[in-house]
Amino acid sequence: MSEKLRSIEIPIIITAICTLLQVIPYYLDIQFLDNASAIERDWMLLIVNMAVFVGVISIGQVHGRKIMRRAKNWEYSIILMVAMIIMALTGLPIESIGLGLDNTIYNFLFIQVLTPLGSTMYSILAFFITSAAYRAFRARNIEAALILVSGTIVVMSNAPLFTSSLPFLITWKNWIFDVPNTATMRGVMMGAALGAIALAVRTLMGIERGYLRGGGTD
Amino acid sequence: MLITGRNFGLLLLLVIMASVYYFIKSAEKGKVPTLRRIAGIDAIDEAIGRAVEMGRPVICSHGIADLRGATSGPQTLAGLSVLSYVSKKAIETGAKVIVPVRQAEVWPIAADIVETEYKLAGRDEEFDEGDIRFLSPDQFGYSSNYMGLMMREKPAANIMIGAYWAESLQLGETGNRVGAFQISGTAQTSQIPFFLVTTDYCLIGEEIYSAGAYLTNDAPLIASLAGQDVGRIIAVVLCVLGALFSTVGSDLLLKIFGM
Repeated sequence: MSEKLRSIEIPIIITAICTLLQVIPYYLDIQFLDNASAIERDWMLLIVNMAVFVGVISIGQVHGRKIMRRAKNWEYSIILMVAMIIMALTGLPIESIGLGLDNTIYNFLFIQVLTPLGSTMYSILAFFITSAAYRAFRARNIEAALILVSGTIVVMSNAPLFTSSLPFLITWKNWIFDVPNTATMRGVMMGAALGAIALAVRTLMGIERGYLRGGGTD
Repeated sequence: MLITGRNFGLLLLLVIMASVYYFIKSAEKGKVPTLRRIAGIDAIDEAIGRAVEMGRPVICSHGIADLRGATSGPQTLAGLSVLSYVSKKAIETGAKVIVPVRQAEVWPIAADIVETEYKLAGRDEEFDEGDIRFLSPDQFGYSSNYMGLMMREKPAANIMIGAYWAESLQLGETGNRVGAFQISGTAQTSQIPFFLVTTDYCLIGEEIYSAGAYLTNDAPLIASLAGQDVGRIIAVVLCVLGALFSTVGSDLLLKIFGM
């Protein structure tokens, strides 16, 4: 029995049914399938929310072990674990005892700590862009030279210092964006969409098994 | 029963799916198309070999998306297919694989893939769940954690295939800083330029979806890629027709699309 339950066909069948339940109602108006699709989406939300605990366990495993072994920088792991526990407890939806989204500690950690940290990480992109641009703008071959020229035009066309005396830069920039850039992006998007459809067919047929245990050889 | 405005899309979807199905069935009868070489996928073995020689780990990530998104979900699946191959090769050669995870729902799948490869190699006891690391569900929490991971572990190779957003540049640049051999791939058009300039090899768009077929070298999987070409031909024909109709001021094609 347990061998049958571990059969590779079971996840493939579940994948196929769930996929068709989401795809068919998009094209066909069949009440029964609409209802089934809505129920499936509810199940999906439940599963996803339950999976959060898996993440918490993984964090506990990695950082708990680090603290116990006193591995390098283990002090940071304590901060992470404490912050995680406080956020989880203060965010519990029990408003009668002051917990939940309006809790002062929860709000402090969210607004004063988490949000600025996220913003900081986003803003350091500026420095990364500078170093990446330096690498990209080395004209080692024709392709790199084209990037260098078009990049320089786009950068200059965004600076009033240049556009006030060289207004044609804006026209050039618009042409770069509207013609070669748009054409390339559309080509990539169409190719990606076709690739995704082919992947879906392979998955529905059960021949794309890379995401299953060892490609389904188990 | 058919929903107005979606009929042409349905027709196109069915035609493309039918062509993919046809080529898969043809391959089962022995007609296998030739596949062009994709340098980025070929380089995966080189990346793992480098890790073995240097005695450092390989970091293999499947992006930051979940499995539910219409455009991002398939990218995660493609990344997991690559993870399957990478972990198999790494176990064969004795390299350590670390898998950073953002979506908790993907963690069990990633862990299952790596664990099964260990089992298939008969080395169950060497599997360490701690190597499949859930970093953070927050986008920049994940990226800062990933960057920290690279700075601490100094991986010999960093393989990133899946859906990425603003963190792509941060990860690519940090990988560069630690001297990792980097292979990236995404279908997010806004992130492809960042991967192109920061990593050694970049799989562009549809190449990531073909990675699973390419790596397994399985005839039906390879044949399915030929089925995509039918869709590509249809897309090119529609583009040309669209330009012609638009030039002569006709909206016939738009009416057909809106059926």
